[in-house]
Amino acid sequence: MRQILYLVQKEFRQIFRDKAMLRIIFIVPLIQILVLGNAITTDVKNIKIVIQDQDKTPYSRELILQFVHCKYFKTIGFEDNYTNLSDCLASGKANLAIVIPKHFQRHIVLNKKPDVQILVDGVDGNYAGVALGYATDILQKYQERLISSTPYLGFYAKNIHRVEKAPMFWYNPNLESKPYIVPGLIAILLLIITMFLTSMGIVREKEIGTLEQLMVTPIRSYQLVLGKVIPFSILGIVVINIAMGFIYLIFGIAVKGSLLFMVFESLIFIISTLGLGIFISTISETQQQALFMAWFTMICFILLSGFFFPIANMPYVIQKITLLNPLRYFIIILREIYLKGTSIKDLIPETLSLVAFGACLFIAAIIRFRKKIG
Amino acid sequence: MENDIAVKVSKLSRHFGSFVAVDEISFEVKKGEIFGFLGANGAGKTTAIKMLCGLLKPTSGEAYVAGFNIKTESSNIKKHTGYMSQKFSLYEDLKVKENIEFYGGIYGLSRKEILNKTKLLLSELHLENMQNSLTKTLPMGWKQRLALSTALLHDPPVIFLDEPTGGVDPVSRRNFWRIIYKIANLGKTIFVTTHYMDEAEYCKRLSIMHKGKIIEIGTPADLKSKYNKSSIQDVFVELADRD
Repeated sequence: MRQILYLVQKEFRQIFRDKAMLRIIFIVPLIQILVLGNAITTDVKNIKIVIQDQDKTPYSRELILQFVHCKYFKTIGFEDNYTNLSDCLASGKANLAIVIPKHFQRHIVLNKKPDVQILVDGVDGNYAGVALGYATDILQKYQERLISSTPYLGFYAKNIHRVEKAPMFWYNPNLESKPYIVPGLIAILLLIITMFLTSMGIVREKEIGTLEQLMVTPIRSYQLVLGKVIPFSILGIVVINIAMGFIYLIFGIAVKGSLLFMVFESLIFIISTLGLGIFISTISETQQQALFMAWFTMICFILLSGFFFPIANMPYVIQKITLLNPLRYFIIILREIYLKGTSIKDLIPETLSLVAFGACLFIAAIIRFRKKIG
Repeated sequence: MENDIAVKVSKLSRHFGSFVAVDEISFEVKKGEIFGFLGANGAGKTTAIKMLCGLLKPTSGEAYVAGFNIKTESSNIKKHTGYMSQKFSLYEDLKVKENIEFYGGIYGLSRKEILNKTKLLLSELHLENMQNSLTKTLPMGWKQRLALSTALLHDPPVIFLDEPTGGVDPVSRRNFWRIIYKIANLGKTIFVTTHYMDEAEYCKRLSIMHKGKIIEIGTPADLKSKYNKSSIQDVFVELADRD
């Protein structure tokens, strides 16, 4: 036990003596949150539209006003020429074009079916879908106003078979992406600090020869491993707490659930990442190799975690593969605690998965460490 | 096992795949002896030393170090041996006294023992004024002596030095060997590998390894007269050139 304390003390002395490293550990995460928290957004706002009004009547102008005044759209211009209109889409000046054909007003007045054409730049399918949704909403509202202002329709005719939608988004009422992204960022921070620093820390000692010097002392492999992982675990937990404070200050997003529970889940998660860190150190001879391996692992983990892309949208096989990714479970857990304040009883399957992964990875790593180094 | 034998090796081998790094070597080292272990690069010296201090498991054969079996009692071996490798292995980013404290702690010394040892070591090595300096600021020769001292914090009866003076200037090497003599006079057994033939002359007995085998063993004087050479350097070159 005392040996472990000496190892931990030594590790902290080294960390705090290395000013460049300290900056990396404490400041880079904050920059990362600031930049990524703002940059990674799936919010669809400021959709640039171009409008062609072939009708030029009070009715068509009324419809155009609805688009101009909608906060999601930004009208960049009016085009009378259809070729110019399609050029706007091709060049990316506009994301969406609205064409109101001739006789729009006449069709309304004559109770024929008026048409409006909407052209959408569909390269980013997700974006296009959301943009079209907003446009459809505007058309629908416009239509409702037309119906209710039609003088010769009675009250019942106006309201017959009309299903009013009254959506309410719980937990993230404005459907902002920040509250969704931020817990993921914390998970990734923890992954980086624990996995990268552990693997590189061990390999560094291998490189400079101190690991060999330690191996001729009576110290046991498990003490050596604990002496390495305890400091980085403490560091990881401290850094994510600072990060959460920072997130609250900058984005006003606070943890809904219990902070203590979050730390508890974090500790369970890092058993996996520390295990991976140790494992990487046993297959790497140099810090570059360790860095590359850790990087590769991290990218796979992030892409298959549901951090950017919803797992439900992935192909079936890939969805099954994500089940082997501890980060996947941890991001779910963090989002639940962060946004909903979910308690442990609703997170038991995820927590148990993390425990199982952690136990397997850590034990496998220690066995390999003992075999390779011990 | 006789009481005055510190290291007893019989038919010790180590294979790496099909490569035989150490091939059935046998020898004995008496207590208090300075035993030189010579051989060209790749002759198997480091592998042999690593087996003797418990870093590597032998493929076959037996060896006892300080009375402990290297196969079954590796934790006792580690408690009763000191090891210093050709690679300087203190923490350069720790202060001098922090390195001593750390290794003392790792060897299980009490706080008080660590304090006493630190004082003693610093004054012996004349490093009192440098105790709060980072280890990386020390000159190479001092680092080497500090590394040796920290490897001996737990007072081991048997000490393995694997090319301890590599890359050190002649004056520092001389100083280093003074310390080795001092330690040997305390009754400790020193097992040293080196490429410096002048250092080989300082040893009480020598063994010369070639391609995993010990091809010659004896006192420097015996070896020189056997091969009719004036220096160990000439003996070594003659033996290492053979195939």
